[in-house]
Amino acid sequence: MRLLLAEDDPLLGDGLQAGLRQLGFQVDWVRDGLAAERELRTQAYAVAVLDLGLPLKDGLAVLAAVRRDGISSPVLVLTARDAVPDRIQGLDVGADDYVVKPVDLQELAARLRALVRRAHGQPQECLQAQDVVLDPAARTVRQAGTLVNLSTREFDLLQALMLNAGRVLSREQMEQHLYSWGHEVDSNAVEVHIHHLRRKLGSSLIQTVRGVGYLLLREAPTSP
Amino acid sequence: MISAPRSIQGRLLAWVLGMVVVVWLSTAVITWFDARHELEELLDGHLAQAAALLVVQQQGEIEDDRHDLDAPTLHRYAPKVAFQVFHEGRLALRSANAPAVPMAPPGQSFRAGFDTVQIDGLSWRVFAAEGGEQDVRVYVGEQMSSRLEILWAVLRSTLWPMVVALPLLALAVWWAVRLGVAPMRRLGQVLAQREPQALHPVAVAGATVEMLPMIEALNALFARIDQLLASERRFTADAAHELRTPIAAIRAQAQVALAEADDLARRHALLNTVQGCDRATRLVDQLLTLSRLEAADATALEVVELRALTQGVLAELAPKALGKHQTLAFEAPEPCHLPGNETLLAVLVRNLVDNAMRYSPPSAHVTVSLRQEAGRVVLSVEDSGPGLVEADRRRLGERFFRVPGSAESGSGLGWSIVQRIAQVHRLDLQVQPSPQLGGLAVHVKGAASPPA
Repeated sequence: MRLLLAEDDPLLGDGLQAGLRQLGFQVDWVRDGLAAERELRTQAYAVAVLDLGLPLKDGLAVLAAVRRDGISSPVLVLTARDAVPDRIQGLDVGADDYVVKPVDLQELAARLRALVRRAHGQPQECLQAQDVVLDPAARTVRQAGTLVNLSTREFDLLQALMLNAGRVLSREQMEQHLYSWGHEVDSNAVEVHIHHLRRKLGSSLIQTVRGVGYLLLREAPTSP
Repeated sequence: MISAPRSIQGRLLAWVLGMVVVVWLSTAVITWFDARHELEELLDGHLAQAAALLVVQQQGEIEDDRHDLDAPTLHRYAPKVAFQVFHEGRLALRSANAPAVPMAPPGQSFRAGFDTVQIDGLSWRVFAAEGGEQDVRVYVGEQMSSRLEILWAVLRSTLWPMVVALPLLALAVWWAVRLGVAPMRRLGQVLAQREPQALHPVAVAGATVEMLPMIEALNALFARIDQLLASERRFTADAAHELRTPIAAIRAQAQVALAEADDLARRHALLNTVQGCDRATRLVDQLLTLSRLEAADATALEVVELRALTQGVLAELAPKALGKHQTLAFEAPEPCHLPGNETLLAVLVRNLVDNAMRYSPPSAHVTVSLRQEAGRVVLSVEDSGPGLVEADRRRLGERFFRVPGSAESGSGLGWSIVQRIAQVHRLDLQVQPSPQLGGLAVHVKGAASPPA
């Protein structure tokens, strides 16, 4: 899952980036408010972690601006301001969650997964499509109860498809989901990962819509 | 001993009534003396006139030789008035109440004019007169008590209304004073009904001119407290941010290190954890310095030699400058003495030089100079760093203010500390662009003192 981290403190930013990467997020780290706003406008992030005391533009102002423009990516505000009025203001401006520093990395990751899940209308922690169950917290995939061994990229790609089950995702969208900055993307990388997923999970799960992208079906198609 | 607070209303009442009584009594005393004087003149005049009449009459009637006749008693006041007429030493005529001996002080030769004489235990005012040939002597007397009675009557008419009016007056004054001090009572009620935390200005309907200074002072106090509280709240919020962020960083880095399998990445996370601890330590040190400074005062100042002190501080900082490839220079032609606290002045110099190094890029120049100008010591710290825009220069010293976008992880407390130390030492602080080096120049100026 691709995540935007907006944090001006070098040590904390570095720690959060490393920790969230360990927990399976693709993390892009920006250090000021203007960069955070720019990235939120131009990139499709599954979720964002926003510090409030950002230089150049305050976190709340960034949040208000992107919400005004209809950008609905879930945003978790991570801040040292713990007064109740601050929390209320943060949530009112458009934060989906409000966490006071310092925070446990595991808890932060769980809250972020929950935000992503809810943003896609998924009430449960585990994603399910046909006989495949994906557990974002444990990062495991089971098919008919049997553990399926997937690479990191394959897991991320499957998660993106399952979160958007029933909708077509273009190759560009999937690349955005998969890669944070600084990663060279092979032109056929997505095709390769899809190929591997089909080999491991069967061909009926992921459908190709030629010239548009890929689609994961929640229910198995009935044979004509 | 704690005495009960006195009421303004009671005081006013007591004073007003007291004054009224004093004025009234004075009026009565003046009336008494004035009336007595007039009365005496009038009655004495009557006595003299009556005596003269008797003298004239007696001279005409002597031939009639009716010298032992008593005059009739005509009026109820007549017993209080008496007269005697002597002709050639013999009693020729007298009123019924007059004695047979002359109404004159005993053992004295005849003297015309007024006299006060005791007759039968009563005090008489007597006028003695003599005929032209000294053969007729006339005494006319009047009881003194009758005069006193008249005087008392006059005084009674002055005092009686007062006795009756005083309680009425007291009531009226009490009521008037009560109306007069009503705005003060209202102020008391308004203050009593305020919430303890309320800091909005007090408004009292119908406040008087006398109360305005009090209300204005009160409102100014409320405004000041409000400002103070706002600044303390901001400080608390900023302090929360500054204290929590390093702790959050330490925690995140430690968790990363715990979960990291790769040795190099784990080492990186652990180094960052240590760095986070250093930063938290520095922050706590500065907070403690600042809070100790809040209580510091200028009483314990001694003469400090600033050149040696600055050299010592620069020696401490030199390794850090070398590590950043920065050039640190010190120019001080002569020793400079000024009154101060050595420890605090060292903190001030260290903060200024540390800031200059911290916010200047590698290979920058930092120059410290110390000189005396017209009895003043001037310490300047200049750097070739990026400098500060005017708006940011003004915000220096706000606790936790950090120049936006600066990559350095300062606490934003250094300047607060510098300012507080300068304040304790009555030093001037000037922040300007540096003409020589292009970055920031900080000048600290204070009165020089002769070497100890």
